[in-house]
Amino acid sequence: MKTRTLTPPACLMNRPEAGVTPPSGSWRLSWALGERDYSILIERRACFVCLGLLVALLAVSLLSLCLGTLTLSPREALAGVFGHGDPVNAFVVQELRLVRLAAGVATGAAFSLSGCLMQTLARNRLATPGIVGIDNGATAFAVASVVGLGTSLAPPPMALAGAATATAITFALANDVGTRGYRFIVTGIGVGAVFGALTQLLMARVAIDTANAAYPWTVGSLNARDGAALVWLWCGLAIGLVVACYLSRAMRILRFSDAVAQGLGYRVRACRYTALVVSVALAALAVAVAGPVGLVGLIGPEIARQLSSHRGVSLIASALSGAIVMVAADLVGRLLLAPIEVPVGIVTAIVGAPFLLWILLRPAPRFQS
Amino acid sequence: MNSFAAISPDASPSNASPSNVSPGVAPPLAARQLSLSYGRGSARRTVIEALDLELPAGQVTAIVGPNGCGKSTLLASLARLHVPDRGAVLLDGHDIQRLPAREMAQRLALLPQETHAPEGLTVAELIRFGRQPHQSLFKQWSRDDRRVVDEALAAADLHALADRPLDAMSGGQRQRAWIAMAIAQQTPLLLLDEPTSALDLGHQLEVFELIRDLAAAGKTLAMVVHDLVSACRFADYLVAMLDGRIVAAGRPSDVVTTALVRDLYGVECTLMQDPATGSPLLTNIRSARYSAEPST
Repeated sequence: MKTRTLTPPACLMNRPEAGVTPPSGSWRLSWALGERDYSILIERRACFVCLGLLVALLAVSLLSLCLGTLTLSPREALAGVFGHGDPVNAFVVQELRLVRLAAGVATGAAFSLSGCLMQTLARNRLATPGIVGIDNGATAFAVASVVGLGTSLAPPPMALAGAATATAITFALANDVGTRGYRFIVTGIGVGAVFGALTQLLMARVAIDTANAAYPWTVGSLNARDGAALVWLWCGLAIGLVVACYLSRAMRILRFSDAVAQGLGYRVRACRYTALVVSVALAALAVAVAGPVGLVGLIGPEIARQLSSHRGVSLIASALSGAIVMVAADLVGRLLLAPIEVPVGIVTAIVGAPFLLWILLRPAPRFQS
Repeated sequence: MNSFAAISPDASPSNASPSNVSPGVAPPLAARQLSLSYGRGSARRTVIEALDLELPAGQVTAIVGPNGCGKSTLLASLARLHVPDRGAVLLDGHDIQRLPAREMAQRLALLPQETHAPEGLTVAELIRFGRQPHQSLFKQWSRDDRRVVDEALAAADLHALADRPLDAMSGGQRQRAWIAMAIAQQTPLLLLDEPTSALDLGHQLEVFELIRDLAAAGKTLAMVVHDLVSACRFADYLVAMLDGRIVAAGRPSDVVTTALVRDLYGVECTLMQDPATGSPLLTNIRSARYSAEPST
């Protein structure tokens, strides 16, 4: 008999739940605690995809620590991370690049996870916070906070308030009905346009210096970001990832029609609202750090979907690929026209716009209907 | 297809009695004074009005009626997809509005009319979703799950097609796969909304025979059916609806009359008994408008 490395054979082999053949393409992990048997299924492909993406993210991160005005070798960069080696290198890595990297990873993951959740709950690949105007709502409020208009609140809570406002308006105008289909998207685009105009109006009304300070927010940039906002984002992302893992089973079911999901014992409305709240909050917190780089929310999940199988909704893979896209786009933006920096929002727009066209123009998959 | 006995629901009650409405057995699913409407304010439209219904245990009930009579809405509200204005739906005597969603899904399965599956999903994967009500975050795949999925595949005669994507199958096979998913839910009750719409004759028969097999295995089934003749042939109990009310209910051979057909569909017909099966058969169907003239 084969010995298993993961489970102590002696106590498990006697149990009725040991050694059940898993569905093809999955691993089954089972253990017993007291009288109860537990089992989880791990999809092989999803597992490999996440590992691969993680390696890719580490590689891109290392690159972004090494490259810049001051080029470092990987060894120097790693030494710098831990404060060893040349003090100048250590300063550049720790104070400048590492914070920026942390911002890039967190915003990319947040935008992408947020996009994937919203696409799933609206059953439409175009329904991402960037497209349905939630990013714009968050931006308008964050800019209002920066230019000091009528509020002393910091950008993160303001961005949250803005995103919530934009979502509420979109919902009210689209007449709810389950956040389905094109009605929600089209209404969201309209609401987003209004908030975009509001942002421009705010910028035009204040002194030029203040407007300049708020400018990066309107295009999306990772340059010199507010530390507090970044802490907010990381906390939100941690919570969001846990909730997303918990929701992932429900998300798989939400890809069916509501009647089917309900018939399988899911409280469809509750699942959808939870996912919506997480999605909107993540988008808002990410906007508070980097401004509206919403196209990452479109590109990230699509990469994850292409890599993963059709079986599940690849939330973790989406977060990872979003982080990769963000860090890579920021790196390109820093290097492309150095020493002038191209904001990351512009880089993702240049890559993202053709991508958006591709989604719109290719033969519609059944997922969209 | 004799593998059904194995898949009879967990709590196999005395439902498996032959097809006679036995007054002693409590109906597994009943509607009491059910009223339901769509829309708000002036656009409010009553769809179902003070409706009483009991599904006979262990039998196949067919709900028939003209378009827009509320039969699909009735089926959906039996499965708790709609909240009634007044009245209640009782599952084993308990109001379904108070039942937890998961518990409900362990006792009643629904096959909606509009089913669409995510791209590329295979038959076996679809059927596995039927186990959801019996699974949880840390109980994702048990020996029972494995066994029941295999049995559902066998029941619907889909073993050979288990790894085929749904989008690459015929309409009848796809519908059988969806029914197999409902079978995997292991519920004593199964509701089907127009399970044979858009299927050709042979595929319709596949589905109806599967439904008969399930009833023979002790399940209580209800289905909305468009075609009155098929309903008569494959159902034990016929419920005829018109304008949100039940106008006739009983064994098909008892309730189907030319008058009922005229009321429901506005057509005249000649009624005869199918020489092969003994169920009512409609022939010489003609528009009531023209045939009414000569007799006056």
